[in-house]
Amino acid sequence: MVQEHRNWLQLRIVLLICRFTPTCPEVVRILSEGMERKLSLGMRIKLRIHFLMCSFCERYMKQLKYIREVSSKFPEKIGDVSEAKLPDDAKERMKSALRA
Amino acid sequence: MSLQPAGMGSSLTKSVAGRTSTRTTQSGPERWVDDHGDILYRYALERVRKPEVAQDLVQDTFLAAVKSYDRFAGQSSVRSWLCGILKHKICDYYRKLGRETSFTDLEFLQDECAEKFVPEGYWVHMTGPKEWRPEADEVMHRNEFWQTMRDCLSKLPERIAAVFMMREMEEVESKEICKTLSISESNLWVMLHRARMALRECLATNWFENPEVKH
Repeated sequence: MVQEHRNWLQLRIVLLICRFTPTCPEVVRILSEGMERKLSLGMRIKLRIHFLMCSFCERYMKQLKYIREVSSKFPEKIGDVSEAKLPDDAKERMKSALRA
Repeated sequence: MSLQPAGMGSSLTKSVAGRTSTRTTQSGPERWVDDHGDILYRYALERVRKPEVAQDLVQDTFLAAVKSYDRFAGQSSVRSWLCGILKHKICDYYRKLGRETSFTDLEFLQDECAEKFVPEGYWVHMTGPKEWRPEADEVMHRNEFWQTMRDCLSKLPERIAAVFMMREMEEVESKEICKTLSISESNLWVMLHRARMALRECLATNWFENPEVKH
């Protein structure tokens, strides 16, 4: 993230942010946890600050939310995609089990 | 008729009632196999992957349905009632799976995706997440997208995929999943985190950042 075209002051600020916010692998783990429970205020602020210098993590968060949104539609869509059919012998087996 | 002894009349009614109920319970459930079998099978197959297992689960569902038919009050359609039973059967199956952690699961859970990050702990610039153009509404009408989603899910280890599907597709609360599978919350979080990470990566490569896909 520390890019060469930043001037001295910008570089200092970025390094300061780096020191006080979690690293990216940490952030992505926390973002996933945040989808299961509400994170503490302090952590939410740290994440916001982290996003100021890291658009990758911010994108990652948007994409997790996106995945959640489309996943909830999956059960109703899967019928259109799947062409699996019960084999005839399995059907017969079930019918005779039901008759017994 | 009024001269008939009371007992005879009632036994007659009973036997007629008995016969009708036998007829409905025999032809009914057998018709279920033709009417709902394929749908239930698809549903199960997406979740447990192995055809034999899916078939067994569907059969168990029908057998359980026959037993509890008296309790089916007809508030819902037969199909959604059967689906409800099948969901329980799938959860039971997951619970059994939960007891055995396979080697592939461990390998998958321990994979830190180190190649995505530089040692100092930041994304590698070239391979960090790129902007998706998430036309959510548009993507949902594309069968190819759901096909990609399915392929990506099938690349996850079975138990991890199961947990992800319960959480994000069936929208079961995390506490509920922990209880069903008797796993700890932190354990669940790790599994979900890894599943999301792998799925995100797979969807990015095969759909959102795939030049062959016409968006």
